[in-house]
Amino acid sequence: MSDNLARVLRPNWDNTPASVPAHDTRHIEIVATRDQRQARPRIVYALSAVAGMATIVVIQLLLSVGISQGAYEVSRLEASQVELGRTAESVTEDLVRISSPQSLAANAEALGMVSNSNPVYLRLSDGAVLGAPASASGSQGGAASLVPNALLAGVPLVTQLPQGSGQGASVGGSTADTSARTAAVTPKTAPNGIPTPATR
Amino acid sequence: MATNTRSSRRRIAGTMVVLFAIIALFVVKLVDIQVVRADTLSAESLGNRSVEQPVYGSRGDILDTNGVVLAGTVMRYNITLSPRNAAEFDRTTAGGEVTVTVAQAAAEVGALTGKTGDSILAIISAALAEDKNSDYAFVAKAVDVDVFRAVDKLEIPWIYFEKNPSRVYPDGAVAGNLIGFVSSGGDAQAGLELGQDACLASTNGVETYEKGADGVRLPQSTVTTSQAEDGGDVVTTIDSDLNWYVQQVLAKQAQATGAAWGTVVVQEVKTGKLVAVADYPSVDPNNVGGTANPEDRGSRAFTASFEPGSTFKALTAASVLDAGLATPDSKIVAPYRYLPPNGANVNDSSGHADLNLTLTGVLIESSNTGMSKFGELLSDQQRYDYMTAFGLGRPTEVQFPAEDSGILHDWQNWDNQTKYATMFGQGLTTTALQVSSIYQAIANNGVRLPVQLVEGCRQADGTMSEVPATAGTQIVSASAARETADMLEMVYQKAWLSTKWNIPGYRVAAKTGTAQMPDGHGGYTHGYLVSVSGFAPADDPEYVVSVSLADPVKLNSSAASAPIFQEVMSQVLKKYRAVPSGAAAPALPGTW
Repeated sequence: MSDNLARVLRPNWDNTPASVPAHDTRHIEIVATRDQRQARPRIVYALSAVAGMATIVVIQLLLSVGISQGAYEVSRLEASQVELGRTAESVTEDLVRISSPQSLAANAEALGMVSNSNPVYLRLSDGAVLGAPASASGSQGGAASLVPNALLAGVPLVTQLPQGSGQGASVGGSTADTSARTAAVTPKTAPNGIPTPATR
Repeated sequence: MATNTRSSRRRIAGTMVVLFAIIALFVVKLVDIQVVRADTLSAESLGNRSVEQPVYGSRGDILDTNGVVLAGTVMRYNITLSPRNAAEFDRTTAGGEVTVTVAQAAAEVGALTGKTGDSILAIISAALAEDKNSDYAFVAKAVDVDVFRAVDKLEIPWIYFEKNPSRVYPDGAVAGNLIGFVSSGGDAQAGLELGQDACLASTNGVETYEKGADGVRLPQSTVTTSQAEDGGDVVTTIDSDLNWYVQQVLAKQAQATGAAWGTVVVQEVKTGKLVAVADYPSVDPNNVGGTANPEDRGSRAFTASFEPGSTFKALTAASVLDAGLATPDSKIVAPYRYLPPNGANVNDSSGHADLNLTLTGVLIESSNTGMSKFGELLSDQQRYDYMTAFGLGRPTEVQFPAEDSGILHDWQNWDNQTKYATMFGQGLTTTALQVSSIYQAIANNGVRLPVQLVEGCRQADGTMSEVPATAGTQIVSASAARETADMLEMVYQKAWLSTKWNIPGYRVAAKTGTAQMPDGHGGYTHGYLVSVSGFAPADDPEYVVSVSLADPVKLNSSAASAPIFQEVMSQVLKKYRAVPSGAAAPALPGTW
């Protein structure tokens, strides 16, 4: 007691004993030593920790196997994407090349078409002919294009293509299929000779 | 017992020393590896695994007004080989392993690349002769996908490929002189490729990734060190189909008349846009080497200036009308030879008696003396101001590479003869574009619009930048322009070529020109530059067509250029569905 407070010590008025040693049956059990108490959980923890680590390792292994499997898959798909991209590019190039004016003109002339730049109009309201109709003066420069295009070297005209490799076949349908479809849409010839397309 | 303790102490001390020595050694090594050489080592290890490859940004396209690709970028492949590794190898085929010798492999590659096997063996031996450890030699440059795939399929271990983005021009020589071309290294050389390089150019990026022993890219290892940027697309005002037609017509007539070169310009009256610019000879940008003369590789419509001759009289007439000093019916007497007081000497192209002509008649007859008598009503300075207002003496707004400004000397420097010569298109030079622009202004009620070849630079996000200005300038009054157009219609109807350039159903205004060509040394050559410029429909002008043919040796007059004008104008009117003219042209008297 090193404080300076005044204290009254309570007197033991009734003189009751502080503890009554009852004559109860003593319960005795073997108390585990502290060491023993601590030892049991330690093993559980260790086991669960090891198991957890093992699980993590296994999961990680599986995951990395999965990812590398995915990497091969991605790599394969990327390669095929590149290949398909190349194909698309090459096909587009072919298409653009044969859509050039030189190619179109040469093919049109090969098919017997003649250009006519003489402008004549038919006015629908009263059937008036505007301009002076005249027959085409002839082919525009002939098959030999005067506007060169080096890309068209070796590209055959439609008329030079071997039979059977025409448009129908290259579009993808079987030849028989295409001819059947073509037959179905052949314009009917009207009595006055003007073909009318079968539109629906 | 004492000796025991002493020896064990000694042992402990010895162990400690050894232990510390080992630890010290380890620490030193650790610091050396982890700190001193850390960067070098990690870079080295990364270098063993990592692969750095360029990511190509693609150069922008050049498009026509309808979006047709005139110039595009495609991927091509360079085939290279490692000479020091060139040896026979085993190839797995359906029939089992087959040994392929170097000669066999070379023959296979040669067959696919259009070379001989021997020439490829020669490449290998030449490279080895130069450097025993040579690891790199070209077999073929810029082959297309089909060849690349075929060679790749051969699985020759010492053949390698490089990407080589190349330029392709799907329409060949259509507008080839305008588009220009790039070098094999990808540098812009001429035309729009050069002029619009700032828009078209792309930036290549770099991508680094790590690969495993089997060459497969490690997941998540891609590092893009710098991003590739694609170039913008240049949208031109050219219509590729029309341009082809015009080039075809021009080339046909140029060859028939033996012309040295020629140009045709088709311009929209109400916008100033060039819908076709044809040059003969044409250059095919896919095969620039096929055009032998370097001068034929550019666009003469922009880069060649010449004395315009009589097509220029329309400008003088419009100026005089605008100044209010004459009307289409004003009368003069046009002699064969006119000797003005200042000492100049003006002659007409062929001898004739004195003609009683109106201003309209002067244009119909294309009389130099008559035009001089009208032109002298204006002061030199006034005429000079009109000429500069019409765009002479400076390049057009297109700013085409190497564009010619033409020669227009200051009016103070005109000598007495030049003062008169400039009234009928001599003593000054113009490009075909400038002549077309003069007619555009006259057709457009006197409002000259900036000449436009490029609509702008379209960025990847669809926005257009570098859109040129389109504000016009009133140069002559609307009535002066209208009267000039009416007079030019009379020229079209009554001049000596009227049967050659007739387009039924339309009213057309046109004027011919024949001018001597300068020889570049102050004199003239014997050849002529024959031209026709005009517009239609004259009642509501929509298109200007300006034709120039240089030195057509077989037909040395405007009769050589008139059929081109007729065919091109017909096609233009038909293509753009110009409504045929209703009312007849106002009749103006040419004589009195």
